[in-house]
Amino acid sequence: MKLYRSLIYRELMLTRKRFILMLILFLLLALLMMTPLILVFIFKPVEGEESPLEMIPLFVGIVALTGGFMAGTNNGLQKADISSGWKRYSFVLPPTAKQQALSDLLTKLCYILFFGLLSWAFEFVYTAAAGYSNFGIIYMLNIYLGAVCAVMLVDIAYSYIMMCAKDKNQLKLISVLAFVGAGFVFRVFGLFPGMNKAGKPAEDDVMISEEAVNKFETILCSGKTTLCILAVFVVLCVLFFLAMWRSHERREP
Amino acid sequence: MNYYENAVEIKGVTKKYDGFTLDNISFDIPKGCIMGFIGQNGAGKTTTIRSLLHITDINDGEIKLLGLDHIKDENAIKKRIAVVFDELPFHDVFYAKDMARIFEGMYPEWDNAAYLNYIERFQLPQKKRIGQFSKGMKMKLQIACALSHNAELLVMDEATTGLDPVVRDEILRIFMEYLQNGERSILMSSHITSDLEKIADMVTFIDKGRILLTGYKDEIIEKHGILKCDKDKIQEIDAEDIVSIRTNNFGAEVMVTNRESASCKYRDCVIDPASLDDIMLYYVHRDAKEWS
Repeated sequence: MKLYRSLIYRELMLTRKRFILMLILFLLLALLMMTPLILVFIFKPVEGEESPLEMIPLFVGIVALTGGFMAGTNNGLQKADISSGWKRYSFVLPPTAKQQALSDLLTKLCYILFFGLLSWAFEFVYTAAAGYSNFGIIYMLNIYLGAVCAVMLVDIAYSYIMMCAKDKNQLKLISVLAFVGAGFVFRVFGLFPGMNKAGKPAEDDVMISEEAVNKFETILCSGKTTLCILAVFVVLCVLFFLAMWRSHERREP
Repeated sequence: MNYYENAVEIKGVTKKYDGFTLDNISFDIPKGCIMGFIGQNGAGKTTTIRSLLHITDINDGEIKLLGLDHIKDENAIKKRIAVVFDELPFHDVFYAKDMARIFEGMYPEWDNAAYLNYIERFQLPQKKRIGQFSKGMKMKLQIACALSHNAELLVMDEATTGLDPVVRDEILRIFMEYLQNGERSILMSSHITSDLEKIADMVTFIDKGRILLTGYKDEIIEKHGILKCDKDKIQEIDAEDIVSIRTNNFGAEVMVTNRESASCKYRDCVIDPASLDDIMLYYVHRDAKEWS
């Protein structure tokens, strides 16, 4: 326990600046999302379709999405450790590669928990203040964890790319190949029936139909979606741990 | 705690790179000794140290630290050794006290009081970030961390390079204190042979990935000598006595491998004692034989 406290302390101290910056950005965004609602309520309460209450899911979604991106993104620690020489030094320190990888994961989970709580607090305060009760915590959680998973996936891929590359040129080459490969995969997905809607004309000048929006909302508010995203999240956590483990275990050439 | 005679045992270690090979090197460091590891830049000192610390994998050979296998027993070894690199590997944003918080969880025998004592003794500022430290301060901080967890083996890679003589002298004194209980050992690689002449018990000399000399420092210095003679006289000296010959306008200086026998054989020549610097210099030119 004492070992993990030390390892996590080091990582939190090193990512502190980045964290504060992200926190400020998050709070500014939350404030920005709250402003229209406050202004409309104070100066001109509106009823019906034009009511700002209709915008609440969107605002909560944006805040949760941003929080998820911030929590899941690469914290730059690997690069910082390499440039400071700590990476090499860590080979002669008692913590094993597995212990270091677990501390990396725990640090990431700390951020995910923190921004998750912050996003939830925003959702709670926002909906409570507006007296809005059309969706619960599930909606926010799905968006938040979805964003975390998406960013973590990129982070894990990046970590594996970093491990495969022997030098900077190889890193560039692999990155370009991965980018082209990802584009190709999306293109292939687009060829499947039902996935390519490019040819479909927009109905009544609306980009996304109400039906699609409702379907999307139903998915986002579903507990099944939460379970699926949670399962993906757990898998990504395991993959992240494995990537970090491999990275700490890998010796210099 | 296991019993061991040699703090470090390196047997037939080979590590191959493109254009450089650490070629079948072997040497031991007995418990309680300071081993000076000397050689010019690119000779293989750092590669050897990285190999024994398992920072890099070796192609062949066997390494034992504190009587344990350097890979199989890696975790047990790491708790009992300390390493000082030529550059401080700590992040600039930390304060000296942060390092104590980081290391106290990592080392079971971390001694906070000893650490603070070193910090005070080295007069390291506690309210300055490490990034603002001078080179000497950074090295002292690294040494303070290395000496605060009761390590049995201290490995230093060019730790005193770039430091002024006053700081170097202070650090050397601390190493001597550290060794006083006879249970601790030091492997110290350095270009600065004068430092090693002051404190090392043993010396290993590496060149182009091969060990040229290893043994007790005093014996090595005693055995070697610089024979001064005219250039014409060189022909009379046995080739097997010569390491290499340095020629100048006034004559020649020959490094001989056995001072005592040379003084009997070449009675009309003056033979001066050699320093570690001289020995290193003449051995580096051993292939050319004659140099100036």
